Amino acid sequence: MASGSKQEAGKQSLLFTPGESLLHKANPLTSLVIMLWMISAAAVLPTAGTAILVLAAITVSMATGVGKRSVKRLLLTMTPIGVALIVVHGLLIERPDETNIGFIAVSPDGLDYALKVFMRVAAMLMATLLFVTTTHPSEMLKALDQRGVPPGVGYLVASPLLLIEPFSDRAKAIRDAQRVRGLDLTGSWKARITALPVLLMPLITLALSDLDQRASILSGRAFRAYPRRTVINAPHDSTFQVWFRRILLAIAILQLGIPLLWRF
Amino acid sequence: MALLEVHDLVFLFPRAKTAVLDGVSLSVERGERVAILAPNAGGKTTLARWLAGLLPDGVLKAERGHVSMDGKDWTEWHIAERSAAIQYVGQVPSQQMTGCAFTVFEEIAFGPCNLALPEAEIRARVDEAMTVCNLRHLVDRDPFTLSGGEQQRLSIAAALAMKPRVLVLDEPTSNLDPESRDDLLAQLELLPGELTIVVLEVALRPSLALADRFLLLDGGRIAADGSALDVLTHPRCIETLGMTAITEAAWRIQGAGGWESGRPLPLTLDDALQTLKVPDAVR
Amino acid sequence: MKFDTRTLILMAAAVVINIIGGQIAHFLKLPLYLDSIGTILVAILGGPLAGGITGLVTNLVWGLILNPVAAAFAPVALVIGVVAGLLARAGWFRTWWQATISGAIVAVPSTIVAVPIIVYMFGGVTGGGPDFAAAYLLAVGQSLVQSVAFSNLGINIIDKAVTALIAWIVASRLPLRLTSNFGFFEHSRV
Repeated sequence: MASGSKQEAGKQSLLFTPGESLLHKANPLTSLVIMLWMISAAAVLPTAGTAILVLAAITVSMATGVGKRSVKRLLLTMTPIGVALIVVHGLLIERPDETNIGFIAVSPDGLDYALKVFMRVAAMLMATLLFVTTTHPSEMLKALDQRGVPPGVGYLVASPLLLIEPFSDRAKAIRDAQRVRGLDLTGSWKARITALPVLLMPLITLALSDLDQRASILSGRAFRAYPRRTVINAPHDSTFQVWFRRILLAIAILQLGIPLLWRF
Repeated sequence: MALLEVHDLVFLFPRAKTAVLDGVSLSVERGERVAILAPNAGGKTTLARWLAGLLPDGVLKAERGHVSMDGKDWTEWHIAERSAAIQYVGQVPSQQMTGCAFTVFEEIAFGPCNLALPEAEIRARVDEAMTVCNLRHLVDRDPFTLSGGEQQRLSIAAALAMKPRVLVLDEPTSNLDPESRDDLLAQLELLPGELTIVVLEVALRPSLALADRFLLLDGGRIAADGSALDVLTHPRCIETLGMTAITEAAWRIQGAGGWESGRPLPLTLDDALQTLKVPDAVR
Repeated sequence: MKFDTRTLILMAAAVVINIIGGQIAHFLKLPLYLDSIGTILVAILGGPLAGGITGLVTNLVWGLILNPVAAAFAPVALVIGVVAGLLARAGWFRTWWQATISGAIVAVPSTIVAVPIIVYMFGGVTGGGPDFAAAYLLAVGQSLVQSVAFSNLGINIIDKAVTALIAWIVASRLPLRLTSNFGFFEHSRV
């Protein structure tokens, strides 16, 4: 019953996509450590390795049912970065191996480097996307609560996550209302700069107006009365997961450290 | 010993010239249902926060006087102890949300979790509060997607889950449409009799029907204290808050000798009909 | 250090202000980010540590809901809050013109932290507006680090000056009963 259904708790603004996969069921800390391990691997692997990591992560995301959302986000972020990398490293930076193709000088080394950075960023991005699409923030916060992280830290992350959606909606409503009243949001520079305070100020005032009351409410509900609070429906954890996390975290640190030692 | 006692409280906001509360003294007994009326900007919310032990806070301190519960000054209470003794519900529903609960269940459980109660006890309290406030069907909803009326019921449920002995309601219905207001009042009527309730209002609203004792806060002091009749017909109350149409009618009829002077003045039409013993069939 | 509950709520509200500011700059197609208004506001009211943490949390939350790349720039957001807080402590947020200059100053350390992240992690590109300026500088013969640094510094100076000015206007209009609980704000009172 209570707070069991993530389906309804899932907010539109979150990248989280409900599901029943192993990654969804894993303790949030386990998912977090997997993400850290992938980021660390992406930092040290050569291009072929990061490319495999990206493909593997895409395959996993498809299998866990979060593929559509993750891949869409991946393409949206990586397309402009990819174009910029090709232009900057392939065409603009002068390198000794430049060869002229028609009017432009292309550097194969530069393109190699562009591909290396592209795959590395893509692998790190997929690592993060796998984590955020399969872990509901409230589960993550419960896992932290359970570990004895102070309630104030949880508040600082949870509160913005919850408030952004109503505020974004209000920002859109103010924008539409002002547009109807003839405020020019697409015109000249000057018009758009004038529009800025009209849109921004009411929202800032609104965000701050709750402060006094919310402080009273939190204090009234014994917020931070004790360093630890009871966690209801704590995410499932197991000895296997605890050891899995420890080992993976050790590997993540070692794989970053060993190549550094190699150099000296 | 009174349950809740305000003793000669003088309070100014920092850098302000005039005192919001200028020597307020009042006491509330166990199980009483008290309404405190104040004109707009008359220090009502400030007094509510003092009563609920939410002030003093940081630099906001009393110039003089103190507020105590069970004879113990609020400043001597631990936050956990205080929040299990008294609860405050303010007037803007969305501002009563803790802002860090993803579901209605978590919102109600937030306070009891902070008290580090056992999980089974928390579930039982949430369950009971949801029943009293008719929130069961909304258990998994995001609190910020609820209507104003639902949010107000939720904030009362969250307050009740702390099992307080006193509930301070600051204009509980001012932001609600008439239907949600009536639902809420019906629910408040059902609250256990031993629960002490203090309602604060800046206008004559139906929530006053909850009270059996009235106080008027005027010019930072308590100007009147007594029955509905005493306070609602007090010249300062009439001047600053006016009268309900029904009270005014009855008051004029009384003036003309048509309403026995012993009979309480009605606040609502229902009161008037009841006082005049109009049979149900006619209603 | 433990923040009081009111500062914590201000910080959470500021994270929302940062993200909404960024979204509005985006709808208006302004060549500015405006995603640090809340951070600088907290720096003025609550000091360097509160400001820095607000910046850090903004980018982490942004990473969770909108774009994970933002999380990589969390150290930049942290520096913005810390430096703005230090300037506020030094009394550099008392008047609108001081706030504007402070904003421009904040742009320098924040760019210094951003450049290595952009160059080493992202190969010098961000997939956004400054890439065009950087590409131009590269085309006229600057090195990659210089091109990224100049293009980002130029945009950052204007962005942070405007951001700091907006934060100052908001802070100076806040009601007394709200600001009186933030002792650090005394450093910015005239």
